[in-house]
Amino acid sequence: MKKTSLFLLLFGLLFFMAACSGEENAAGNEEENDTNASSDGEIIAWAWDQHFNIAALNVALEHYEDENFNLEIIENAQDDIVQRLNTGLSSGTMKGMPNIVLIEDQRAQSFLQSYPDAFYPIDDYFSTDDFADYKIAPTSYDGKQYGLPFDTGVTGLFYRTDLIEEAGYTHDDLVDITWGEFTEIAKDVTDKTGVAMISLDPNDLGILRVMMQTVGSWYTNPEGEITIANNDALREALEHYKTLLDNDSVKIVSDWSTFLASFNNGEVASVPSGNWIAPSISAEDSQNGLWKLAPIPRLEAAGAVNASNLGGSSWYVLNIDGKEAAAEFLGKTFGSNVDFYQDLVEEVGAIGTYKPASEGDAYTFENEYFNGQQIIYEFSQWMEDIPEVDYGLNTYGIEDILAAEVQNYLNGKSLDDVLADTQTQAENQFK
Amino acid sequence: MRLIKRIATYLFLSVAAFISIFPFIWMVISMTNKSVDVTRGRLLPGTHFIENITTLFETQNIGTALTNSFIVAIITTILTLLIGSLAGYGFEIYRTKRKDVVFSILILSMMIPFAAIMIPLYRFFGQVSSVAPAFGIDTLAAVIMPTVITAFFIFFFRQNTKLFARDLVEAGRMDGLSELGIFFKIYVPTMKTTYAAAAIIAFMNSWNNYLWPLVVLQSPRNQTIPLLISNLGSGYSPDFGVIMTAIVIATLPTALVFFLMQKHFVAGMMGSVKG
Repeated sequence: MKKTSLFLLLFGLLFFMAACSGEENAAGNEEENDTNASSDGEIIAWAWDQHFNIAALNVALEHYEDENFNLEIIENAQDDIVQRLNTGLSSGTMKGMPNIVLIEDQRAQSFLQSYPDAFYPIDDYFSTDDFADYKIAPTSYDGKQYGLPFDTGVTGLFYRTDLIEEAGYTHDDLVDITWGEFTEIAKDVTDKTGVAMISLDPNDLGILRVMMQTVGSWYTNPEGEITIANNDALREALEHYKTLLDNDSVKIVSDWSTFLASFNNGEVASVPSGNWIAPSISAEDSQNGLWKLAPIPRLEAAGAVNASNLGGSSWYVLNIDGKEAAAEFLGKTFGSNVDFYQDLVEEVGAIGTYKPASEGDAYTFENEYFNGQQIIYEFSQWMEDIPEVDYGLNTYGIEDILAAEVQNYLNGKSLDDVLADTQTQAENQFK
Repeated sequence: MRLIKRIATYLFLSVAAFISIFPFIWMVISMTNKSVDVTRGRLLPGTHFIENITTLFETQNIGTALTNSFIVAIITTILTLLIGSLAGYGFEIYRTKRKDVVFSILILSMMIPFAAIMIPLYRFFGQVSSVAPAFGIDTLAAVIMPTVITAFFIFFFRQNTKLFARDLVEAGRMDGLSELGIFFKIYVPTMKTTYAAAAIIAFMNSWNNYLWPLVVLQSPRNQTIPLLISNLGSGYSPDFGVIMTAIVIATLPTALVFFLMQKHFVAGMMGSVKG
């Protein structure tokens, strides 16, 4: 009997604790009807990556002079944010939603179009003219600006100087080349050094998007129609993709960690990727001074530029109490503060898309790991040339279909059929 | 000949055992390595254990997350066992044709994936928040409540109750015990192994539960362990050494619960198969 009462006591205590954990944050909740986010004047922000996006928010806070402004930053994995927003917004209750949220550019339109009333237009808090043009289309909807552009996913070709030289090439041979020329260099490098040129994850077709965007093309057009069957840019990109694989220039990886390992282990001679990969490359001390950076190759088509984008995200304000304070904070920091962007580069290594910022000293820093190259400056120059693309609603959904078809293409299916079949499947699924 | 057969058996079993435990060994080894070494697949213990542990405790509220996970898992386990066994006992001991129909409907509910009811459930808890914030969104109570009544455990207990000697119920009634008294004083003590097996499953389910806590818990102070681990892997350059450390810490409680109750677990599962 004693045992039972002790057990009941403990159990009661536990349940009390579980209920109490809710009590704290629910305290100021009663007078509000549709939010608990800003119940005590506190602004809540969701973002992923402590060392990057969250660090950036913290730098912004240091540059924001408003004593009444209280920001609580909550770390969430990117997929978790997507899941939470989708559940919360589609349930129609705004409870538990944050004031500020970070959304990847390629996903933004699906949120803005599905839940237009859930977001707060922030046109009045900053000037869109100050930002790289390619960032505006994905962050606006129906003529209103909803997102404040944050980091750029401007791409570059990181390469190993020792391996490229061993194959008989110099830096100039890699500057402003086409993907066709790149595949030839890749073949040479693999033949002469025995090392693959790049590593690819068959489930991640990011490299095709990078290639397509050099001519301003995408899986969809600005009207939202799926344009795969007659997409010359995608056709050319897939041809290069197959050539690279046929020439054994590719090391196949299975996920993100093996992708990181491929260049940290010296198994590939180059990494064509977004600027944000730089810290992962320089994490390997033994390769210090062996890496350099060249512009991303372009497709053959007329109007192609040696600049593209992979990833990158922007800040959004939700249409709940505290929206004005949240928008004000974003506008005064990410939206207009040059000094903030200097600190952002120095302390976080993040390159924003705010054009006036690239004049500052921090951008011309010579990075020893990359042979003393001013990589931030180079990136910020390329950033201004990135062709603008409307990412549409279903980039990742279409890509899942394409990834399966790409395997058929590699196994010998004709390219015409691959593109036509992908088009049909995508139309069936997303119309 | 017999010796060779024996050696072959042991060899096969050892290899199979090694293969199944290898991921865990690798995880423990990786806990002591730098992130770069983990991605390289290094199999030797390194010297970064202290560093990984320090980083983990400095950057994450792992203490809070562990406490939350324990609170949720323990309450969920106890309530699940209580409700599941009462219902399972009732369906079997007071069996009628109509109750069997109700039971079949209950079993059908096992076919509905959680993802399908998640949005209405979130909406429901959103409304609860306005009336009783202590049980609404972003509380541990909201994590616990939808998970304590599951068709699976009612089914599990009902199947095991088939093994329970019905005469004991009659004997209890003769001796003047109330129906609840029979349940608590006779049924519960004789079904210990079944409870142990159910406790392990309920604890593990709750400890590893990810989707519902993810959407319903927002504040870091209410974070559970799976959410914390998900955050760790979210960076552009995740620190795999730290992630491994966190996963090992997160795995220990379930492993401990399992080893403590292993004997009963096997007996309990056998019972449910026989029934």
